[in-house]
Amino acid sequence: MKKTDIVVVAFMYAIAALFFKMTLELKAAAQTYPLFIIGLLVFLTTLYVLQMIRGARKNGITSGLEDFEGFLPKQFIPIVAMIVLYLIVMYAVGFWISTLLFMMFCLCFLKVKLWQSVLSTAAILALVYCAFTLFLHVKLPSGILL
Amino acid sequence: MIETFVMMGQGFMNALMPVNILAMIAGTTIEIVIGCLPGLSAAMGVALLLPMTFSMDASTGLIVLGAIYCGAIFGGSISAILIHTPGTPASAATAIEGYQLTLQGKAGKALGTACISSFFGGLLSCISLYFFAPLLAKLAMKFGSPEYFWLSIFGLTIIAGVSSKSMVKGLMSGALGLLLSTIGMDPMQGVKRFMFGQASLYEGINVTCTLIGLFSMSQALILAETKIKQRARASRFSDKMLLSRDELKMIAPTIGRSWIIGNLIGILPGAGASIACFLGYNTSKQFSKHKEMFGHGSIEGVAGSEAANNAVTGGSLIPMLTLGIPGESVTAVLMGGLIIQGLTPGPDLFVGETAKMTYTFFAGFVLIQFFMLGIGLLGCRGFAQISRLSDAILIPAVSVLCVVGSFAIHKNFVDVVIMMIFGILGYFVRKVGLNNAAIVLALILGPIGEKGLRRSLELSKGDIRILFSTPVCWVLIALCVFGILSPVLMDRMEKKAVKDAEESGS
Repeated sequence: MKKTDIVVVAFMYAIAALFFKMTLELKAAAQTYPLFIIGLLVFLTTLYVLQMIRGARKNGITSGLEDFEGFLPKQFIPIVAMIVLYLIVMYAVGFWISTLLFMMFCLCFLKVKLWQSVLSTAAILALVYCAFTLFLHVKLPSGILL
Repeated sequence: MIETFVMMGQGFMNALMPVNILAMIAGTTIEIVIGCLPGLSAAMGVALLLPMTFSMDASTGLIVLGAIYCGAIFGGSISAILIHTPGTPASAATAIEGYQLTLQGKAGKALGTACISSFFGGLLSCISLYFFAPLLAKLAMKFGSPEYFWLSIFGLTIIAGVSSKSMVKGLMSGALGLLLSTIGMDPMQGVKRFMFGQASLYEGINVTCTLIGLFSMSQALILAETKIKQRARASRFSDKMLLSRDELKMIAPTIGRSWIIGNLIGILPGAGASIACFLGYNTSKQFSKHKEMFGHGSIEGVAGSEAANNAVTGGSLIPMLTLGIPGESVTAVLMGGLIIQGLTPGPDLFVGETAKMTYTFFAGFVLIQFFMLGIGLLGCRGFAQISRLSDAILIPAVSVLCVVGSFAIHKNFVDVVIMMIFGILGYFVRKVGLNNAAIVLALILGPIGEKGLRRSLELSKGDIRILFSTPVCWVLIALCVFGILSPVLMDRMEKKAVKDAEESGS
């Protein structure tokens, strides 16, 4: 058994509880199917808990961190933060400026050579412009501030 | 019968239109590039490029998706042969013999064998697509609500098959997907369910956003978590890629066997190209007159693996197109593409005007194999250099394409947020051993099953016996049992095939 499995089980029960609460607010005829699925999720999660207990007795408990071997928080967290920030900035100033900034900052952070960064950013912007703006006629976000 | 041949002819006429030819060339080239980049899977590539097919004519969109699928499977062999790193898991067995040939200065020969075998594997798989798909569709036309309920349950049993380690975890992923599929308007009562105040969730969670998040964004996050590796320099090669007549004679029986293997594996739920390549490789060894060459650079080994994994493509489309049952993650993503085009996978695809589009797609699928061969033979040297592209560039590039792709669906920022949520969810799902493909399958099949069940019960005034009332129901129930048991069989088959391949490789 892995300790990380406890988080998985807790997440599944939490999701089931949230949907159960919301299901009870529906009218009676619309409750049956969601309740069946919630019951199924709870049953399978409980089945997994039993498997975990049996596994713990048989093979002991491991941290489960072996699944995160090689994980670099100093690289991963800033990248996720940059992606989230990218979405926020895009909402404010639009797609083109935010993408330019995101690509350049992200590539610099990942220590890509400057000429490669410039080339990659230009290539991506050109690809999006050709495929989405020219070909698909998609109006990309222009931003609420602009 | 004559009508079918007329449809086939019309399909080729339509597929040969310039726009479709351009679509084939572009789709195949782009996806060979994605396929040869280690770390990017076929499903991820298809999900990423799905939004580009929105505004296309349905048949052109489908042709692009078909080209993407075939290109990705073939593209994986380039990096497998040149840098001993399979671009996709479907080329894992190709790396064994292909890289040995590269070390001997015969990289061109290995790539040529991969191109030709992939071409014939894919082309022959079209035969079964042409002949089995309409037959199965005819059978599916007799289905009523109870049958559709069991059909979706059968599809859901595949979840157990696509689960990687724990079957229960796979089923839990499926149940989570089913729960998420209930978000939106209740199909029978017209009640808003679990919409969190978002009007954009009225029609449920957008499957394409989910696909892009679960497969593509999560992949970018997976690449971001570990040290950026500098890939090995792809070997330069100067030998000829074309095979001699004797070499073609040598690999011909291998291609034939691998075609049958790949096709059957493709049709079977839960199996996929990664299993087929090892089975094809092992079978080629078993029947080879030059067994001593295996492990030291055998073109038969490359042919066995590549013909089998490309033969999967046509086979796996059969249950998806005729029954609406995607057997694995790539076809689940492709099914998302069909739904986006406003088409409902199932027997309706073979009736009336829609049939013309389906046969155009089939014809396109045949022609794609020729383009794959041509582009593969001409472009291998260039693709080899692309396979070195660093993850440091791929991470932001894939992220941008995920964002723009999910936005393009409804020009709605909420979709981008949903994609991001599923991207992060997909990352953790992979890390903790749950299954992305199972969630997607359940999201797609959930509404079909729900409608089938609730309509059946309404027709029978709540009598559950309606679900067991026809012979087809019982056949489908038997298939469900098979679906649950098949992972055990598949797991054993794959383990044995990998073990045999490793033994012959060492």
